[in-house]
Amino acid sequence: MIEVKGLSHSFRVGKKGKETEVPVLKELSLKARDGEIVSIVGRSGSGKSTLLHILAGFLQPDAGRVLVDGTDLTSMSEAQRAAFRLDRFGFVFQNFQLMPGLTAFENIELPLTLKGVPAAERKRKVEELLESTGLTEIRGHYPNELSGGQQQRVGIARALITEPPVIFADEPTGSLDSETEQDILNLILSLNKKYGITFVIITHDDEVAAIAKRQYRMHDGELTEGGLRHVV
Amino acid sequence: MSFKDQIAFVRQHIRRNRLRVFMTVLAATMGTAFLIVLASVGFGLQKTIKDDILSNQMVTQIEVYSEDMTDAKADAMKKIDHVEAVVHRKSLVPMAMGELEGHTGSMNTYFTDFGDEQASGFKLAEGRFPEKPGEVIVGSQFAAQLIDESVEVEEGEEPASYEGKVIGQTFAFSFEGENDETASKTWPFTIVGVKEAPGKDWAFDGYLYLDESFMEEMESAYIAASSDNEQEDMSFTNSSVNVYADDLANVKAITQTLKDDGYAVYSVSEEIEQIDVFFLALKAGLIFVGTIAILIASIGIFNTMTMAVTERTREIGVMKALGAGPKLIQRLFLMESAWIGLVGTVIAVVISYGVSFAANAILPIVVDAALGGETGDSFKVTFSVIPWQLVLIASAISLTVAMISGWRPARKATKTDVIGALRHEL
Ligand SMILES: Nc1ncnc2c1ncn2[C@@H]1O[C@H](COP(=O)(O)OP(=O)(O)OP(=O)(O)O)[C@@H](O)[C@H]1O
Ligand SMILES: [Mg+2]
Repeated sequence: MIEVKGLSHSFRVGKKGKETEVPVLKELSLKARDGEIVSIVGRSGSGKSTLLHILAGFLQPDAGRVLVDGTDLTSMSEAQRAAFRLDRFGFVFQNFQLMPGLTAFENIELPLTLKGVPAAERKRKVEELLESTGLTEIRGHYPNELSGGQQQRVGIARALITEPPVIFADEPTGSLDSETEQDILNLILSLNKKYGITFVIITHDDEVAAIAKRQYRMHDGELTEGGLRHVV
Repeated sequence: MSFKDQIAFVRQHIRRNRLRVFMTVLAATMGTAFLIVLASVGFGLQKTIKDDILSNQMVTQIEVYSEDMTDAKADAMKKIDHVEAVVHRKSLVPMAMGELEGHTGSMNTYFTDFGDEQASGFKLAEGRFPEKPGEVIVGSQFAAQLIDESVEVEEGEEPASYEGKVIGQTFAFSFEGENDETASKTWPFTIVGVKEAPGKDWAFDGYLYLDESFMEEMESAYIAASSDNEQEDMSFTNSSVNVYADDLANVKAITQTLKDDGYAVYSVSEEIEQIDVFFLALKAGLIFVGTIAILIASIGIFNTMTMAVTERTREIGVMKALGAGPKLIQRLFLMESAWIGLVGTVIAVVISYGVSFAANAILPIVVDAALGGETGDSFKVTFSVIPWQLVLIASAISLTVAMISGWRPARKATKTDVIGALRHEL
């Protein structure tokens, strides 16, 4: 379970000495129960990505707390947050963020390698996952030899391989056509059902947001729950 | 991440940037090889000079000087640890003459104990050591100084020296005095052995070696024959003592013991020590100059690693996002620069041995040809020697420099901002 309380963050922008504070997140709170799909929808520049970066521990907020199963992420050191991420979180990015020098197989394997899982076990796990996500055929391909949809499947498989309780996805379908988008959303839904993984999905697309059970709407750094129905 | 996986990861990076890494390794190799080859010349010259000294001298010999040397003092030296022999020679002070078949020459004479001489390594070129009174040993060029004064020679020509057989010949020995009385007594000496020629070409050995037992008889005959004022001025003999160590390694310790006992001492260890000090300074200087070459190469490593970090900003961001800690990121990059340093060093060592071998094989021929083939056999110069210590020093310098130059880029990698990196375009 993820719980966010009183989260505020602002960026300092402009020339040195003449910086101005731009508040991006304003005292917002959020909750994601285990096994839920949570969506955060909002216009470009509303602060969705910034929120996700704080949830994932990439960024330290100015104020507020991020509790993951009761542990406060904001009080950890950088190294501790990295270890925590490796253990608990998976990530899916809009532009996939695969390692260009690694094959699909090796990309999916990477989180296990970082965790220090023995090679034989890694091979078994990755092969299993390749099978269940239908990626076996492209296992030896490098990212630049894959379509966007295939790359995102590899990206999702990479997020999944360590069987994390939570996967964060920032615009997971942002670079894909609507048909491929549907494939990816179906994959997310089935994984959520099958493994009970919590998904936090960020999108500007109401259709994508609609797959979530709990929906948040971000507007100028403020977050409101169940926004979708109000807007429609 | 296991160490094995870290290595695999680094290798994958290196493979992707083969050309650039190759050029950097090349620079590191050249720098390190330059250092080793340069310093090896210092080691080579040192070896050449040391070998020269050691081959031309009785290296285990320690010369001892004392105003009042006695046989008892010389005997006491035999009791010092690792002393093989002590030779107490007494050179004859008054002028003496030798005459053999009409050839005459002045006699440079030593009274000595042939037992001690043999123990010290005194060797004969031919003949044997004296067994009966009247038997003597002569130096290798003894005959050359006996000259027939009656033969006329033109200016610039060599005088007519004795060229006949030496062994078995008997010659007349007498003191050369101002008046006839001094020269009254003569001794017939039979040459039974010729001493081995000295190592150096220019060393002249025309000495006459007599057994100590003659000394007393000769001295009294000399005193009886000479006038009073002559004896007061000078002693009959001068003492010189040489102590011989059982091994070169012990020369230094014996030298020190003798010094502590108040003797003036000279041994090859003194000379070698001075040479060693000089070459230590020279080698340090050469290594310093060579290190500059490595430092120049390190700029290449710094550059390559900085570029590698910049190029891989996005990848570093992904790794960090997935959960790679700063320590791991730093280690991966340090391993890469260490790899460059290590491979560069290994290749440099191999190349250096090759260059050193080639220099030693070819340079003497070139120098010999340049000097018109006049250097001959005596020209045995070792230009370059690479001892393992030099390999160790060069490797340490090269690896340290590689690690230091890779350190900043690696630090920079750990400071990569995840969010910024993920936004980074491919
Ligand atoms: N590093 C930064 N420095 C300064 N301002 C920033 C920084 N990152 C984001 N911002 C600002 O914060 C605001 C929110 O940005 P954010 O990326 O969170 O928006 P977003 O909702 O994800 O938008 P999009 O849908 O376009 O991705 C923007 O106005 C942006 O200019
Ligand atoms: Mg965004």
